[in-house]
Amino acid sequence: MEILKPAMAGTLESSDAQVTVEPGNGKIELSLESSVMNQYGRQIRQTVLETLDRLGVTSANVTMVDKGALDCTIKARVECAVMRSCGKSEASIPWGGMIK
Amino acid sequence: MSYSLETISPLDRRSNAQMDELLKAEGIRRDGHLDYSCGLFDDDGKLVATGSSYGNTLRCLAVSSSHRGEGLMNQVVSHLSERLLNNGYFHQFLYTKEKNYRIFADLGFYEIARIEGQLVFMENRKGGFERFLSSLGDVKKDSACIVMNANPFTLGHRYLIKKAASENSFVHLFLLSEEAGPIPFAVRKKLVLEGIKDLENVIFHESGPYMISSATFPSYFLADEDTAINAHAILDLKIFSKIASHLDIHSRYAGSEKTSHVTGLYNSVMASELPKYGIRFVEVERLSKEGETVSASTVRQAIHDDKLPEVINMLPESTARFFQSSEAESVIRAIKAMKDPRHY
Repeated sequence: MEILKPAMAGTLESSDAQVTVEPGNGKIELSLESSVMNQYGRQIRQTVLETLDRLGVTSANVTMVDKGALDCTIKARVECAVMRSCGKSEASIPWGGMIK
Repeated sequence: MSYSLETISPLDRRSNAQMDELLKAEGIRRDGHLDYSCGLFDDDGKLVATGSSYGNTLRCLAVSSSHRGEGLMNQVVSHLSERLLNNGYFHQFLYTKEKNYRIFADLGFYEIARIEGQLVFMENRKGGFERFLSSLGDVKKDSACIVMNANPFTLGHRYLIKKAASENSFVHLFLLSEEAGPIPFAVRKKLVLEGIKDLENVIFHESGPYMISSATFPSYFLADEDTAINAHAILDLKIFSKIASHLDIHSRYAGSEKTSHVTGLYNSVMASELPKYGIRFVEVERLSKEGETVSASTVRQAIHDDKLPEVINMLPESTARFFQSSEAESVIRAIKAMKDPRHY
């Protein structure tokens, strides 16, 4: 999926994460800030990258400010931001396909 | 206790009074220019947290001291940054008191510059400022700097640039990239580039959001109290000092200013602040033509009054040609529509 415009999903509230995606230049750049960076930084990063990979995103600047979100929340926020950024959130979200 | 997040309309006197009270209690000056405000209200309709924005900056952020530690600022900032993003502002800025720096660092904001004991200026991009610095290109030895609005480019601007270019090996010329006046950035840039074509040691840059922008220096664009202008100017120069040390700039040139209040004040702050960073401030007496000082505001006034021929001797050939061409129609219309074309 191609990131067409910047988009955001999620909030900065506790147990949530705020994800911003912007068009990139050929690769995934992830800037991560987390309140549990030392404990789960690597796990969070991996979850974000896996989700992007599943969505077929290969070029994006991703900023994530995590406030202790669970993996399922992180996935959902990343998916939502990506769908918004390519204009799919209004009509054609691939439920059961890329979004599992 | 649950809170509801509501927009505070400028017409809502009761909520605005509460907002004023909260800001005052937290020692924050209410910004004169806000284009959006919101607040968190408790079950009794009492305001417990507030935040506002203007353009791409978050402002007047405060949480009532009796509600600290409840994550209320997170809600306010989430709401504001999402709203700004939906309005097309992806790169966002804020100022905060130095002691509250940590709160915003945890919300994904990164420090650009700080004035010790006072405030910290932040952005939502990690390494955004560093990327701006590296986009400025090669570092040149013995270079000076000029920052100008060129609204529009006159012989006065050219005189200043030429003087700096003759006294230094290189001149970094920054053109304000913010759209603020009646003349669009693209036009100002075109006229500057044409006007300096023959000056080989002048390096052109766009100022971006880090120099005299509505983020660093809001009062440059909109009237405000002198104390605010001073504070903004000091912050702007602090950021400039970082740009200067990156580019090895040792002098900054500016034209003397008699008419514009804010520019005059900015010059005087430059004279006192720049030497602290080891930068020489050179104020150049303005160019005069037939007894009249050349200034862009005089030119705008003349265009406004349909008297372009009277100021044609203040303009380089390229600018004069532009304003006589059909291309300039929309710009001239915009200048004529201004109530006070001299202002700022």
